[in-house]
Amino acid sequence: MTRNTFVRLTLVPAIALLATLALVSIGGAIWFALSNRTLRSPDYDFVGAYNFLRLLRDSRFFNALEISALWEVITVSGTLGLAVLLSVLIYETVQKPLWRNLICFAFLVPVLLPRVAAAFIWRFMYSPSLGVINYLCGLLGIGPVEFLADPSLALMSVAVVDIWQWGLFFTVIVLKLMETLPRDPIEAAMLDNARRWEIHAYVTLPMLKGPLISLALVKAVESLRSFDLIFVMTGGGPGKATETLDLYAYQMGINMGGRISYASAMSLLLLLVTTIAFTIIWKAGKKWAA
Amino acid sequence: MANITCSSIVKSYGDYPVIDGLNLDIPDHEFVVFLGPSGCGKSTMLRMIAGLETVTGGRIEIGGTDVTDLPPGDRGVAMVFQSYALYPHMSVADNITFGLRRQGLPKAEIAPRLTQVADMLGLAPFLDRRPKNLSGGQQQRVAMARAMIKTPKVFLFDEPLSNLDAKLREKLRTEIRKMHLQLKTTTIFVTHDQLEAMTIADRIVLMRDGAIEQMGTPDEIFERPASHFVADFIGTPAMNFIDATIEPGHVARSGSIALSLSRDLFPGLRPGQKVELGLRPASMDLVEPGAPNAIAGRVVLVENMGAEGQVITEVDGREISFVTAQFRRVKPGDAVRFALRPDQIHAFDPVSGRSLLGA
Repeated sequence: MTRNTFVRLTLVPAIALLATLALVSIGGAIWFALSNRTLRSPDYDFVGAYNFLRLLRDSRFFNALEISALWEVITVSGTLGLAVLLSVLIYETVQKPLWRNLICFAFLVPVLLPRVAAAFIWRFMYSPSLGVINYLCGLLGIGPVEFLADPSLALMSVAVVDIWQWGLFFTVIVLKLMETLPRDPIEAAMLDNARRWEIHAYVTLPMLKGPLISLALVKAVESLRSFDLIFVMTGGGPGKATETLDLYAYQMGINMGGRISYASAMSLLLLLVTTIAFTIIWKAGKKWAA
Repeated sequence: MANITCSSIVKSYGDYPVIDGLNLDIPDHEFVVFLGPSGCGKSTMLRMIAGLETVTGGRIEIGGTDVTDLPPGDRGVAMVFQSYALYPHMSVADNITFGLRRQGLPKAEIAPRLTQVADMLGLAPFLDRRPKNLSGGQQQRVAMARAMIKTPKVFLFDEPLSNLDAKLREKLRTEIRKMHLQLKTTTIFVTHDQLEAMTIADRIVLMRDGAIEQMGTPDEIFERPASHFVADFIGTPAMNFIDATIEPGHVARSGSIALSLSRDLFPGLRPGQKVELGLRPASMDLVEPGAPNAIAGRVVLVENMGAEGQVITEVDGREISFVTAQFRRVKPGDAVRFALRPDQIHAFDPVSGRSLLGA
């Protein structure tokens, strides 16, 4: 058996399974999106592009699109920003390997928590009457703050939970990456009069550009799957302040309306938009990392 | 311009001192080579002068200023690393000017200095390239340019040529020497290659186990090695060592070998004294029968080195080698006689290993 046949043979089962799962559901979604099915009645007609055309006039859809984009930007930049900041801080201040490992271990705990559990814990902590965060705010003379009920704060408050889970996890990864960097260029920068923060801004972090871009992409994909977190914490509210596309599709198709065809059209648009967006980001990222 | 003074330098890792009370004075403009086997502390010493390694005890002064506790960037030193340590994501031009930009120099001042340094090292065509698109020799030149452009008080080289092939090493060695003749900046160059040290140094500091074994010009070190260790470390092919006993008439005897020594160089030798003789292969040559100070041996192996050849012989069951231009006349199994002048024989104390010169 040549190497190539071996590679093909071992790849076929997994790819076949994936392709079946993906193609069947996409095919089903397209089939639904072209009709006017609802969960209330078994009758349906083919309506062509009607669902898609209606979506383009649906302001709640565009709101959800905007919230989704905002959610992506906030969680990805927040996660990476926190990870870079904390890892540089630990790299500079904690020298003992034992302490570093203990910190890393502690930072891994949040991401091990099921997201639904994290959502419930934080929802309780955010509570205006019972929550520890509002208790602390009270000590400072602020509040009580309606973190999840205030439309201007809700999205940020939920994002904090996501960043708490993933930012600390990414801190561990970035710190370990920094530890693998060669010492010589850092020492050369020290001899070149670079201050501490300049060494990181101009030498260590640029040397990690490739891995950081990969982490950003991983987090961007991960952030698309935040349905559970948002659903438990706010259910998309208050109003539609935290309603991302997947939440809106769920509300439309299953929860409130049962308009399964309309929701399918929305999911297809979401698939299209993310595919295009990620292709562009991926290409740009590769160019930038080179 | 700056002289360097190191007084009572101590460096310990935990309880284990790697350098213990080292004193060293390097005058302004001098090109000094730290030479020694790996683990002798030469790189540690250099890194302490650079400020990349903390000093456990003692003081380091550069140009009269105590720099012992100054950060590396404030010491006025520039360093070239063995790995070149270029910033991989920056262009050659950005690599070279990084230090000046960190000092906050205006662009108008940096540009002409970059042009000058790049021209001097032949880097002008490569300024826009990334380091990974350069050959090893070009990368090393970029590292040198990055050090030169800062016009430092002191240049530090940490085994800068070790990663290059032999031909390029020789070429860059000459360039570094020429650069020093032109700039006259005080330079410390670390290497474990004794030939490199001999060819490039004004003065060699030969180190062993964290201490200075001998300090002197290449000639001094080669011709008057202070100890068995120095004699053994310097010179290719390596020196022959023979245990011998002094006999009346200032003659050292070991089995069939009897060599008369110079009374001027070794006035203190007494009959019966045990010595270790050091005979450089390059000081000896084939002689006719009857010549004085001759050693008779049987050829084991002839190594062709081009213009000369090393002849390895067996004398009383031990191997002694010498170098001769007439190596093509001899072949394994031949009986040969070779000799050297009394003033070219070195003698060491067999216990302490110190040279018996003048003793």
